[in-house]
Amino acid sequence: MNKLKSIGNYFKDFGTAIVKGDIWVKLSLFIMGAGYIARKQVINGLIMIALQAVFAVMCVFYAAPNLAKFGTLGTVQFEQVFDPLTLISTVNDYDNSFLILLNSIISLFIIVAFILVYIANVKTVYRLQRNKEEGLHINTFREDIKALFNEKFHITLLTLPCIGVVLMNIIPILVLVAIAFTNYDQQHMPPSALFTWVGFKNFKSLFTTSVTVTFGYSFGKVLVWTLEWAFLATFTTFIGGILMAQFINNKNTKWPKMWRTLFMVAIAVPQFVTLLLVRNFFADSGIVNTICANIGLTDFLKDVGLVSEHLTYIPFLTNPSWAKVMIVIINIWVGIPYQMLVATGVLMNIPTDQIESARIDGANRLQIFVKITMPYVLFITGPSLITDFVKNINNFNVIYLLTQDVYVTQDQLLANSHAKEIDLLVTWLFRLTNEYYNYKMASVIGILVFIICAAFTLVTFTQMIKGNREEDFQ
Amino acid sequence: MKKTVGFVTRHLFLAFLVVVWLIPILWLVVTSFSGYRGINTAHFFPETWSLDNYKALFLEPDSVVQYVVWFRNTLVIAIFTCIISTIFVLMVSYTMSCLRFKGRKGLMSFGIILNMFPGVLSMIAVYFVMKSIGLTNSHLGMIIVYSAGSGLGYLITKGFMDTISVSLREAARLEGASEAKIFLRIIIPLSKPMIVYTVINSFLVPWGDFVLAKLMLNSGIATDWTIAIGLFNMLGKSLINKYFSIFCAGGVIVSIPISILFVLMQKFYVEGVTGGSVKG
Repeated sequence: MNKLKSIGNYFKDFGTAIVKGDIWVKLSLFIMGAGYIARKQVINGLIMIALQAVFAVMCVFYAAPNLAKFGTLGTVQFEQVFDPLTLISTVNDYDNSFLILLNSIISLFIIVAFILVYIANVKTVYRLQRNKEEGLHINTFREDIKALFNEKFHITLLTLPCIGVVLMNIIPILVLVAIAFTNYDQQHMPPSALFTWVGFKNFKSLFTTSVTVTFGYSFGKVLVWTLEWAFLATFTTFIGGILMAQFINNKNTKWPKMWRTLFMVAIAVPQFVTLLLVRNFFADSGIVNTICANIGLTDFLKDVGLVSEHLTYIPFLTNPSWAKVMIVIINIWVGIPYQMLVATGVLMNIPTDQIESARIDGANRLQIFVKITMPYVLFITGPSLITDFVKNINNFNVIYLLTQDVYVTQDQLLANSHAKEIDLLVTWLFRLTNEYYNYKMASVIGILVFIICAAFTLVTFTQMIKGNREEDFQ
Repeated sequence: MKKTVGFVTRHLFLAFLVVVWLIPILWLVVTSFSGYRGINTAHFFPETWSLDNYKALFLEPDSVVQYVVWFRNTLVIAIFTCIISTIFVLMVSYTMSCLRFKGRKGLMSFGIILNMFPGVLSMIAVYFVMKSIGLTNSHLGMIIVYSAGSGLGYLITKGFMDTISVSLREAARLEGASEAKIFLRIIIPLSKPMIVYTVINSFLVPWGDFVLAKLMLNSGIATDWTIAIGLFNMLGKSLINKYFSIFCAGGVIVSIPISILFVLMQKFYVEGVTGGSVKG
């Protein structure tokens, strides 16, 4: 309700400025600098006129040609004609669908930004008029510049970071969303071919399973495993980290610092090194398999039925069930030291008087852990637990580095849509783009992951807002 | 008696865990000194010891191994990324923490939500944006990719700045200092620990990142790569039997500076995860 009101006010102010403004304000509707020049802010006026001119040029030469083709994403096919006489091949003036899409989105962005500046400009000019009528001081250019380092310092500070975020976060997200509604794939790769809008077709094919299209089947399987994985990965490392921290911080444990440092060594090595290493450690013909065969573990597992008869090794990372278990275990190995660090920090700040009084009342260690320690830790790290869950949904590194080039799926239906049993949605998405150039389906999957993550992050976010006491310490 | 048994089992258990955690690392180190280039699948410790792998790494670059070049590439990217990211983070945190203006709350919420969306998802689009301006396979492009959106990670530093007493700023304002001066002369010197955290954190990004670099530096020319891609490439099916122990040597060398920085940073790590809610 409040939001609607402020939006209403925004346009109301704009209307008042136009209606009540004098001739200069009205002239500013056409020549943006006019109002400034009339109030002797010549440099501001010239800057505005220049801005308007640049915008006009941009519209004519950049925005208009691209936006005109935005509806079709281009119609002129790439053609190359080789002239046997001159030995030169000429290329026609073809349309590049992707560039049209990208440039159109950037153009729309610039146009929206310009409209905002335009409205703000009229309002400012009107305020200048009011100031003059009331005999208030009107800033000189030098004073305006000074204000950028004082009461308007936020504009100076935020400009560059905002441009960065728009370029690297917002525009890519918009492009991604747009591609999901096109047929951009290996058969439609610019510059040699065009792609165009197809509506919700890709979304439909993600949920269908037929003889030729198996995306529906794969999506279901991959989604279930992604959620299973995120849940397992988050909770195993979380609980493990707390237990380990408790164990090391216990007063019966000697040299707690040394133990902690030893565990830290394992995670100080960059993750891509350890993961690639562990992958070879557990390879089908790797060192662990040699040892297991030597001590008879392989034969034992064969007898129990955990390893199928015709294999001479344990398929740690090549059999779907084994690989899933191994991935979770290896992730515990990677994740527990981190969680231990965090839990140690949290546990050190635990209010000791509560534990003390519980002990006096006769509570045993387990009761204290369940009734006091855990609720406290959960209270502090609760929000980060959800963030971890979302991070694990997108935990590209662990899955990709452990299984890429190693794991081959036997499931023909999965293979048809280039998925594997151990894929997360993000690794599947990565393979679809990086190896099969199926951008349209990758974008659709990307959007769905967005929605899943958004649902979880919104929960965290409302929590954070609730606990937002930013001025408590100032 | 019972106490001693408990003491011994407790420490034996811890020792066992440490062994589990350190075995792969130990394997990395011993294999890097192996005289055999491929994977030794029969024995944990190498049969012959030598320094050849390190020599190959530094002195004998070929079409696959360009370690010194990779190291330099990654270092350059990391230095610039860390400078730009730190400046961006400081600017945004100061604005959000100390300045009051219309739309601040809205902008903050928007930033937090945007930052929660994982970058892996929009990376294809990032790749295309960079490709259309010709910045794939360039280190400038990598720097932009790593640092442009870094302003969104302002939350921790802002939380720290929130704890700096407001009376300091008010006093400075009474003395006639401008906001810019307060930012540069008062807040930045007081935020030193947070700056160290941000610097190290953003410095580590290019060393650990694999997926973005793999996507962006796809020319197949070894001298363009960063360490992560170079080492990954050595383990391809056709190369692994000739380069595995060199990979291990490379892994050991890159781990040394990274782990030192990591240990320096670990005391800030807790605050980073709990969003500064642990105020001891």
